[in-house]
Parts: sequence; structure tokens; C-alpha cells
Amino acid sequence: MSDILERLSTSILEGDADTAVELVQKSLDEGLAAKTILDDGMITGMNEVGARFRRGDMFVPEVLMSADAMSEGLKLLRPELAKSDVKMLGTVVLGTVKGDLHDIGKNLVGMMCEGAGFQVVNLGFDVPPEAFIEAIKEHQPELVGMSALLTTTMRAMGQTIKAIEEAGLRDKVKIMVGGAPVDQDFSDRIGSDGYGSNAVAASDLAKQLVGD
Amino acid sequence: MTERTQPLVVLACRVFEGLLDQHLPVDVVDQITFQEYGLHRVPAKLQLAVQEYIDGLEEPSLIVLGYGLCGNGLNGIKARQHTLLISRADDCIAILLGSYRRYIEEFESEPGTYYLTKGWLESGSNPLSEFEEYQERYGQEEAEWLMDQQYQHYKRLVFVAHSKEDLQKYRPQAKEVADFCARWGMRYEEILGSEIYVQRLAEIAKSPELVDQEFIIVPPGGELRQQQFISRDDRGA
Repeated sequence: MSDILERLSTSILEGDADTAVELVQKSLDEGLAAKTILDDGMITGMNEVGARFRRGDMFVPEVLMSADAMSEGLKLLRPELAKSDVKMLGTVVLGTVKGDLHDIGKNLVGMMCEGAGFQVVNLGFDVPPEAFIEAIKEHQPELVGMSALLTTTMRAMGQTIKAIEEAGLRDKVKIMVGGAPVDQDFSDRIGSDGYGSNAVAASDLAKQLVGD
Repeated sequence: MTERTQPLVVLACRVFEGLLDQHLPVDVVDQITFQEYGLHRVPAKLQLAVQEYIDGLEEPSLIVLGYGLCGNGLNGIKARQHTLLISRADDCIAILLGSYRRYIEEFESEPGTYYLTKGWLESGSNPLSEFEEYQERYGQEEAEWLMDQQYQHYKRLVFVAHSKEDLQKYRPQAKEVADFCARWGMRYEEILGSEIYVQRLAEIAKSPELVDQEFIIVPPGGELRQQQFISRDDRGA
């Protein structure tokens, strides 16, 4: 990895938005491809954030600052990404399930998916099954992503999948789930198509689910 | 008194200190250990601490775990040569409220509830302490932004305790947190919980044949799984 991308990755990990923006600009000025800057600089940094958070080596405030650095960097990079011939991968409908009002992780997933080339429809938090169903009908997404932070609300994920089935829409979308209490075992049990342990893993999973 | 064939030991979060030891006093228990509050903030560490304790006990025992699933911290706990007994609860809030049903009722009446317990007040696991910590580390402006990101959607702050004495004793601290949380429009309420869940846990510890669906028993060689907590009946939200 080039030195500048390594520094960009570090600035994301450290949640230093000013430096991240500066380094994105510098990378562009040096003629690096937008996709390379995103993949080898920013996402590499975010990947490490996800891993450290799981291990308990990084906490919510640090993750928030990293997410902010990522977001600021992406603002600058987005027009360049659009100009380059990065292919659009499809649409993702995202929401935090009913009864749960935690949206930090879900918004981060949205940002990573957008960076990866998805169009993201973010339904917000406390999203009832009917709202997911409405959004599937309206936006005809390839993917639906659900998030929950509480063990109490993760039950709503299974109920939402069931409602999507009953609405006859289950075979129209792939479903992915995530959030602190969620694991692969739970994802399998409720009949989701995949589980992402952090935001980068979720966008990788999204790519995989649409066959990219 | 029921005749015991194996040692009875208790490992619990300090949030139950003064409650569990009252219902399971030392003359019926061979050992009571309280672990620090707030381990659930990093579930992996809570899991490690509980497993280490279990692994350190040589004589096959009945181990009462004064915990719930606690952010998945109890998921994957192995019984080894012991028998484990635990409440089928998501966390200490349901246990302090007296039942899972009560917890779900509270939850459904206002999902945007942030709970305070004496444990969380004492260990600094509450928004005010967090803000003070952030201020010191990141400065005023950054601290405020971080707090907004985490708490802006909450609507209610509830202080729950199992006794009137605790409500009274910790009220000043709880109100201080409440004044701070008013910035997000959170209203303050107090709920007097119940000792019944802990009382039942103690009864079952003494007579395991009384176990019902509010509790989980893991036999020797078994493992606690998230599924056992999640897949109770369908009353969940």
C-alpha cells in the first residue's frame, strides 16, 4: 500500500476527519483512482475499526469519530466515484427494527454500502415490518438490511422476515442482518441470507449477495 | 432444608448485591462472588470473566449465575463438570422488575427508555458520567456531539430498584442524570421493582426440581446458548 493511503487509513482509524479529508484530496491530486482511495485507504481503516470494536479495544465514541472521518472523506470522494466507471450494484433498503432506536451502526452500514456502489434507502429506526414491506414494494431493492442493538429487539428481525414472507416478497429480496447481539447462528435460525459482524463485513456481504 | 448433594456457589453481578445474598445467605451457600458492574459493556470480557470463574472451580457444583444474557456476554458459557442455573432474562432490568413479562410491558409502553440501576449509577455507566468522561478526553464540543449521537432518540429515563430504600438512597444521583438528560426531552420516572425473580432463583437453587420457563438449567457438559434466552414463548416485542 502506498504511504499516502496508509496514512489515510490511519486517519480513519484515529477518527481524524480533517486529516482524512486532506489526504483524500492529496490522493486525488496525485492521480490515484477514486476506487483505490476508497478500498485501500478508507475501507482498510474502517475494517480495523470494526475489528477493534468487537474485541473491546475501541469504544462507541471512537467509532463515531471514525465514522465521521469516513463520512467527510466520502463527501469529497463521491463525485469522483460517480465519474469513474464503478458499476452500480443495486438498491439496499436499510432499517433498525421495530422497538429499537439505535442507528449508529446501521447508518455506518449505509455509508459503506453507498461507497461500495449501492443505492441506499435508509428507513431510519424503530421501523415496523409493514414499513419494510412498503419500501420493498416501492423501491424494489435487491437487498434488505436489518439492524438491532438489543437482545429484546432482535426478535423483531425474525418477525419482520416472517411478515415479508407472508406478503409474498421473500423471493424478491436477499436479507442481511447485523447488530451487537446478532451472530451467524441467529441469522441462520431466522432465515436471513447473511450476517455482517461490522459495517465493512456488511457491505462485503451485500456485494456477495448480489453476485458481485 | 433441602439436603444438598453438591456445593452451591453463586457468581453474580454486583447489581444484585444485597438482594441475592439476602435470599441465598451464606449459611446455605458455600461461596458468593460478586463481579464488578459494567462488564456487559464489552460482552466478550464478561464472557471471559464468567468462564474463568467456572473453570477455576474444581468440585462439581451447582453454580447460580446472577446474570441474564447481558448483551450476549453469557452466550457460549460452558458448564464443564458443573450445573448452571440462570434467569431467562435479557439483562438485569427484567430481573429487577420482577419478571420478563413486566419488562416487555415497560418496553412496549416506551421503547425509547434508558434504564438506570444503582449499579449503573455507582459504576459510572450512565449518560452523565459518560459525558464527563468525554469532556475530559475530547473537549466540550466533541463531547456534546458524541452524546447527541448516542442518546438523542431516547424519550424516557427510568430509575429502577427492587426496594423503596434503594430508590430513596440513589434518587439524588438518578435525578442529576435526569436533569442532564432533559436536554434530549427525556422524562424521568421511577419504578419500584420486585424481589420476586431473585426470590424464585434462590428457591430453585435450593430445589432445582422447581425450575420453570423463567429459568435455564444447563447440565454438566452443556453450554448456555443465546437461543435459550431468545426463544421463550412469543411474548417478545
